[in-house]
Amino acid sequence: MAFFAWLEATGVATTVRDSLRLTGALSSVHVIGFTLVTGGALVANLNLLGVLFPGRPPIEVTRPASRGIAVGLAISALTGLLLFAPRATVASVNWIFQLKMALLVTAILFHIFVHRRVARSPRHNHISGEFARSWSTSMQRATAVVGLLLWTGLALSGCAFILLE
Amino acid sequence: MTLHQAFEWLEATSVGVMVRESQWGFPILVAIHLMAITLSVGTLVWFDLRLLGVSMTRYRASLMYRRLTPWMFTGFGIMMISGLTLLAGFATAAYSNLYFRIKVLAMVLAAVNAIVYHRYTERRIKEWDDSPMPPAGARSAGLVSICVWATVIIAGRMMSYTMF
Repeated sequence: MAFFAWLEATGVATTVRDSLRLTGALSSVHVIGFTLVTGGALVANLNLLGVLFPGRPPIEVTRPASRGIAVGLAISALTGLLLFAPRATVASVNWIFQLKMALLVTAILFHIFVHRRVARSPRHNHISGEFARSWSTSMQRATAVVGLLLWTGLALSGCAFILLE
Repeated sequence: MTLHQAFEWLEATSVGVMVRESQWGFPILVAIHLMAITLSVGTLVWFDLRLLGVSMTRYRASLMYRRLTPWMFTGFGIMMISGLTLLAGFATAAYSNLYFRIKVLAMVLAAVNAIVYHRYTERRIKEWDDSPMPPAGARSAGLVSICVWATVIIAGRMMSYTMF
C-alpha cells in the first residue's frame, strides 16, 4: 500500500490527475492498444476454432496475431500504468480492477504456454495417426474456447472498470 | 428543420430520456459500444495490415476479406446501434462537442475510403490477390483505414472526457 501511495504522489501521477485532457488522451491510446490485443486474440482463437482459415496450419495465424497482441499489450500496459498512477490506492483495492489484472495475467500465460503450443501442427507436437489428429483438433477447439472466454472476460472487466469506478 | 433542431428532437425521444435517466442504461450501452469497437476495428485492422503487405501475406487478400467480413460487420452493426442510442441521450451536448464532429468526419472518411476501395481498387484484385505486396492503391486504402479508425476511437474516448 505504501508503494501505491508513493506512486500516487509522483510528479507523473500529479500531472495526469491535474489534466482531464491528458487523462482522456491516455485513455484513448489505451483503448487503441486494447483493440489490437482483442483483435489479435479474436483472430488467433477463431482460427484455432476452425472458423477462419480451415485446412491451413493454425500457427500461420497465431504467429502474426501474437505479434499484434504483444504490440497492443505494450501500448496498453504503458498507458494503463500512467492512468493507474493517479488513483493507485483506490484502484488497487477495487475488485473489478483486481479481476481485470488476474484475467490479463491468465490470458497472457494461457496464450504463451497453451495456445501457441496447441496451434502448432500435430507432427510438431510429436503426435501422429488418426486418433492423434482427432485429439489434436479437439484440443485446438477447447483451447480456442478457453482463450475466447479469457480475452472476452478481460475486455468486459476493462469496460466495467472504466464505467463503474 | 436544422441539424440542431433534429438533435433536440432526438434527445427528447423516449429512447433519449431512457438513456439519460436509467441508472444502468448508460454504462451498459457504453460497454456494448466499446466491445463492438474492439470486435469491428480489431478484426478490420488485420485486413488493413494484409492490404499494407505487413502481415498474413501468405493468405489471399480476397480470402481474408471474406473470412473477416462477418465479424467486422457484426461489430459495426452493434457499434452503430449502440452509438446512435447513446447519441439520443446526449444529442445536444454532442452537437457542440469538437470531438464528436471529428469522430463523425473520420467515420465519413472511413466510408469514402471503403467505397473507393471496393469500386476501384478491388476490381483488379485478381492481378494482386496472391501478391505479398499489393499495389499502391490497396496499400493506401489499408493505411487510411487504420488512421481514420484510430481517429474514431480517440475522438470517441475524448468525448467522454469533454462532454459531461
